[in-house]
Amino acid sequence: MTVLTSQSTPQRTISIRSPAIRIVIACIAFAALLAAPIVLPTYFVEIGFKLLIYIVLAEAWNLLAGYGGLVSLGTSSFFGLGAYVTVGLINQAGAGPLQALAASALAGTAVAIVMSRGLFRLRGLYFTVGTLALAEALRLFVINVPWFGGATGLFVTVDLPEIAALFRYATLLLALAALVMALATGSRFSVLLRAVRDDEDAASQVGVRAFRIKLAAFIVASALIASAGGLQAIKLGAIEPYGSFGLQWSVDPLAIVIIGGLGMRFGAMVGAVFFVAIGELLADYPELHVAITGVTLILLIRFAPRGICGLAEAALRRRGAAPQEAHP
Amino acid sequence: MTAAAHSAPLLDAAGLGKRYGGVVANDGIDIRLDKGRVLGVIGPNGAGKSTLIGLLGGAIAPSAGRIRFEGDDITALPASERARRGIGRTYQIPRPFLDMTVAENLAVGQFSLSPFISAATATAERRDILERCGLADATDVKARDLPLLRRKRLEVARALALKPKLLLLDEVGAGLIDSEVSELIALIRSLQDGERSIIIIEHVIRIVKECCEDLVVINFGKVLTKGPTAEVLASDEVSAVYLGTSHGGAANASPIAAPSTTADPAPSASATAAPLLALEGVSAGYGQARVIHDLSLSVMPGQVVGILGTNGAGKTTLAHVISRALPVTAGRIRFAGDDITALPPHAAAARGIAHCMEGRRIFASLSVEENLLVSARNVATAQCKERLERIYALFPVLAERRHAAGTSISGGQQQALAIGRALMAKPRLVIFDEISLGLAPVMMDRLYEALAELKREGLTMLVVEQDVERALDVADVAHIINKGRITLSGSAAVVRADERLRHLYFGIED
Repeated sequence: MTVLTSQSTPQRTISIRSPAIRIVIACIAFAALLAAPIVLPTYFVEIGFKLLIYIVLAEAWNLLAGYGGLVSLGTSSFFGLGAYVTVGLINQAGAGPLQALAASALAGTAVAIVMSRGLFRLRGLYFTVGTLALAEALRLFVINVPWFGGATGLFVTVDLPEIAALFRYATLLLALAALVMALATGSRFSVLLRAVRDDEDAASQVGVRAFRIKLAAFIVASALIASAGGLQAIKLGAIEPYGSFGLQWSVDPLAIVIIGGLGMRFGAMVGAVFFVAIGELLADYPELHVAITGVTLILLIRFAPRGICGLAEAALRRRGAAPQEAHP
Repeated sequence: MTAAAHSAPLLDAAGLGKRYGGVVANDGIDIRLDKGRVLGVIGPNGAGKSTLIGLLGGAIAPSAGRIRFEGDDITALPASERARRGIGRTYQIPRPFLDMTVAENLAVGQFSLSPFISAATATAERRDILERCGLADATDVKARDLPLLRRKRLEVARALALKPKLLLLDEVGAGLIDSEVSELIALIRSLQDGERSIIIIEHVIRIVKECCEDLVVINFGKVLTKGPTAEVLASDEVSAVYLGTSHGGAANASPIAAPSTTADPAPSASATAAPLLALEGVSAGYGQARVIHDLSLSVMPGQVVGILGTNGAGKTTLAHVISRALPVTAGRIRFAGDDITALPPHAAAARGIAHCMEGRRIFASLSVEENLLVSARNVATAQCKERLERIYALFPVLAERRHAAGTSISGGQQQALAIGRALMAKPRLVIFDEISLGLAPVMMDRLYEALAELKREGLTMLVVEQDVERALDVADVAHIINKGRITLSGSAAVVRADERLRHLYFGIED
């Protein structure tokens, strides 16, 4: 939203808005995250890993749905794809975790390109249903084709990295996601992407090649999701089709982004913190956890459709409006 | 026509046709347009004009014919590629990118065609376009927050951001009053730089007359006639299918001078009765913006009250206030003696206020008949049938198309449907908001004939209208609103004669 206006508005004087300061803050944050496993107890590193994975998934989903209008229920298809590619390469080709994760991202990209021809013919709800079908199809494929261990799945046959190392991989993945999101949402590309979201036909009429724009967003999101899936697989050490292609991987990012703020820059991050925190606080009462998440969703959709970030933005604007009136 | 016939035309469409199943929207249309020329396309509602724009812009794939642009065959190219070659179009019903600012709406075209344009150049271009289109004050406003007519301006601005060689304008003049039409004409003329070609679809005859060099008349999807503007407008054939009573062109150019054709209204018998509707010191607005200030007016039973004023004066806001779609910030509204200020819209409708909203608001997924029945729920079947027959008698064309989808019928038929839907509730008061918007003159005649008939039957009506002459013809009393206040009231004859009306409508305000 600030692509065009930030240069000209007087708000530039507020230091936190200047790009240099933002980059410095982001770098410090990531340095702190990389160092975190040294000081934090293992329990918190575990939760932190979970949080990082969820943020990456939610960022990718927010890019598709919030900025591109592509409401996908196919997150689990790319998540599971990444898991199988990663474990396969580690077991069969002796690949290192980073190589395997990079290959997962490439596999995600390839599947996104192949599927885009068909999926982008569908619009709105039909696209959503199409992505759901993709996840189901991939799961059945993995179960029925003999190479993937059927319904039992696969085990990682080499020694697994420690949680501290995994946490650092996740941090790097998040850094990548943050960089990609900064480029995709703060650039001229974001203007085109949001135009396609608001009205694809009208966008074509002003020269936007809607297919390419959607494909770019779809590829980036799929690559991120596949890497996250691979990382999760390394952490578990064992994968099976019902877990890796589970519907929860499609639904959780959606819930997180709606709680945090659909189409809001920090929606994914805020939503993920909330979601994981609730999950941990109520770990002993799983049914309560689901109920509270559900009620939260209902309340937010009814009273704050732009999520927690939307609420915060409205509150900031109200506070910001008062001093501005003092010196016109 | 012959002057530039030697060079290859910018646009050469031959034998263009489009069928939707059995319905032929366009059939064998030939259009040639040379560089720098302005071509007008006129025709009755439903003649296939918007389909033609769709075919040229690439939104609709033709079933027959081919299109050449700058010598290249572009028939198979999608809309985005045609836009990149320099064909910019507007939508008749604006389709801005709602969740983006006005500036961003323009930036879409800029960044799409030249992703690496310098920010300073892009900003300067946008500023220039927005100033020309009268949107300079709305640069950072979200398109969602723009009213209908400003969205129409945004349509033009967004198309201009492409720097098109061929500009397709689909009814951008609809709903404008004379001073605004003058601004639009000035804008179109400023775009005629000898390089850019323009195709204008328009019902506002003044724009056609003053901007278009040549004219094509379309009827039933075929070219009826074509030629230089003056010749075409003078032909009898055209006046029969299209111009109707406004033939001669005086109506739009000088509303004051045009003769009043209908008989002077006989004041209703109920002069001493209590008013059906009374507004007392009403103020209303949207968020911070107050649109209506301390406004009072009353409507007697059986009376027809015209509400006139420039765009942005508060006419539509007033209509929404009366139908209770918009809360008031001060004042009271009484209907048939009861205070209805706090009632929700459906309760106001139940008491007998029907609102025929600007922009028709037809339910697309319902058939014509279902659209009518929606507003007559909880009514006995026999009575329902009776009312339907009544509407079908008023607008026979609706009876013919009763099973068609609500928005598949032409603009004029949709407007008739909107009126019919308002009447189905058997209301005591109907608010008609801009029913002539975007209609062919001959269709406007038909709608206002229907209104005159309703008036004879004693229906109380509030007519919000930008076409002064038509409103004054049907109204007993008229109020002129300016900046949210009533500046002139009186019987239709008095208002018609008043100097202030002329000032308001010819842009000599203040």
